[in-house]
Amino acid sequence: MISKADIEKLAELSRLKLDENEIAGLEKDFSAILEYVGQVSAVTVDGSREAASQLHNVMRDDVAVQNAPGNTRESLLEAFPRREGDYDVVRQIIEK
Amino acid sequence: MDDLARLSITEASKKLASGEITSLDLVRACKKNIDARNAELNAYLEVFDDIEEQAKEADARRARGESHPLLGIPLAIKDNILIQGRRVSAASKMLENYTASYDATVIKKLKEAGAVFMGRTNLDEFAMGGSTENSAFGPTHNPHDEARVAGGSSGGSASAVAAGMALGALGTDTGGSIREPASFCGIVGLKPTYGAVSRHGLIAMGSSLDQAGPMVRTLEDAQLLFDTIRGRDPFDSTSINLRPTTYDLQPKRIGVPRHLLQKGIDEDVLRSFNASLDTLKAHGAEIVDIELPSAPLALAVYYIIMPAESSTNLARFDGVRYGLSLSGDSLVDDYAKTRAAGFGPEVRRRIMLGTYVLSAGYYDAYYGKATAARAKLREEYDDVLKSVDVIATPTVPSPAFKIGEKSDPLSMYLADIFTVTANLTGHPALSVPITPVMREGKDLPVGIQFTAAHGGEDMLFAAGKMVE
Repeated sequence: MISKADIEKLAELSRLKLDENEIAGLEKDFSAILEYVGQVSAVTVDGSREAASQLHNVMRDDVAVQNAPGNTRESLLEAFPRREGDYDVVRQIIEK
Repeated sequence: MDDLARLSITEASKKLASGEITSLDLVRACKKNIDARNAELNAYLEVFDDIEEQAKEADARRARGESHPLLGIPLAIKDNILIQGRRVSAASKMLENYTASYDATVIKKLKEAGAVFMGRTNLDEFAMGGSTENSAFGPTHNPHDEARVAGGSSGGSASAVAAGMALGALGTDTGGSIREPASFCGIVGLKPTYGAVSRHGLIAMGSSLDQAGPMVRTLEDAQLLFDTIRGRDPFDSTSINLRPTTYDLQPKRIGVPRHLLQKGIDEDVLRSFNASLDTLKAHGAEIVDIELPSAPLALAVYYIIMPAESSTNLARFDGVRYGLSLSGDSLVDDYAKTRAAGFGPEVRRRIMLGTYVLSAGYYDAYYGKATAARAKLREEYDDVLKSVDVIATPTVPSPAFKIGEKSDPLSMYLADIFTVTANLTGHPALSVPITPVMREGKDLPVGIQFTAAHGGEDMLFAAGKMVE
């Protein structure tokens, strides 16, 4: 139902570096899980249901608000894994 | 009662108001139980070092004339809810050293009321699981039998309340994560109507499913805590204002979907459930058979929609802005190394599953079908809830299982069979303890689950009080 190559491709798309053991385990788990959730294939999709969705967009004014007391800006900067001054140091991705 | 930590919130609140006890007395009573049992139970990941200061502050506020029923009440907080300046880990290596930069709206409301936060409770990593065995910091044990799980994902909160380490707790529920541990630990757990409680400041899992709610000892406590944390919040666009809860309801018709109870349910649990239906009848309620034709598909629908939303929400953990950050050979390799090391096996499995069901070529077959089935399920529930006041089922098909007993993921997922539906349909659902079942000489708690119409929390409390 799902091949080792499929699992490897999914790991790549999911940005997860997996070892051989885990890939083999997931191949097995996925077959059982997909067989179970595959029950939904019996459902007929009725177009009118989508039109009846109760969801709607909720907008707000585009203004800055303070949502917590204190210096929340500083606490966000402190969370940077590699901080230099007020900058977050990231890997260079464009090369000459 | 000798142990103040075993009082209900409502009882403790009266004693605080009359001056019979102080918040400091309550906090010390809870701390005594923590010192005695937390090393074995692993309910708290961290007990805050300022609990006595918080209690003294609450007592000072009372002395100045404040009187909220939660003022000075010790509560446990699931460790996926942000408290400004404190660590919040989601029980993951990814956020092990992360400090919250703001208060969740539910925390803000509890601070205004004057509650004391005892500490952060254990959970399945990122709330993914039904046993708290998926925590990166070890499983939580059940106070009724330490060889068994406390349930999950809010297992730490359930264990803490059941063991007298707090008077009540907050949990979160995406597919049963409040109700299942409440059932396993013998306490009351409410998953409110979708949108009733703000999710601002909760670490997101499945955004169309998540709700925060109370985990407490009595229905009265559940109503008190729910009324304190509910309400529309500009920081959560899905939040809504519901009508106020009332106290004088009496459920007249209770629907039981017998067709869902034919197989796969522990015999003793079913007997206990049927006995509680007799209690409801004795209180004057009429028990009627109902049909929910799409309900057998609910679990399959859930295990498509939830991983799809989880994999999307967890895409934000890239090691660039916060959390664990590892370096590899390239930018993509940085991401892949960080995420493989930061996320545990169940989280990785669900990210992979979500990525699969959303991928080109499979989207229509899985996510599209699941969304259609979800809409149908909601219609069926809405229809049935026009003719009955509440729907009753067991909360979980079995009592708490043993730690390590369920080793394959699918058998673990099947424990969620009765709880996932309310998350898919957005209806409020409540678990209330009923007659326990005996296993190996120990009484293990069991819960009955009630589901009501949207905004029908008060009907749930009324039904719960009839079996309490």
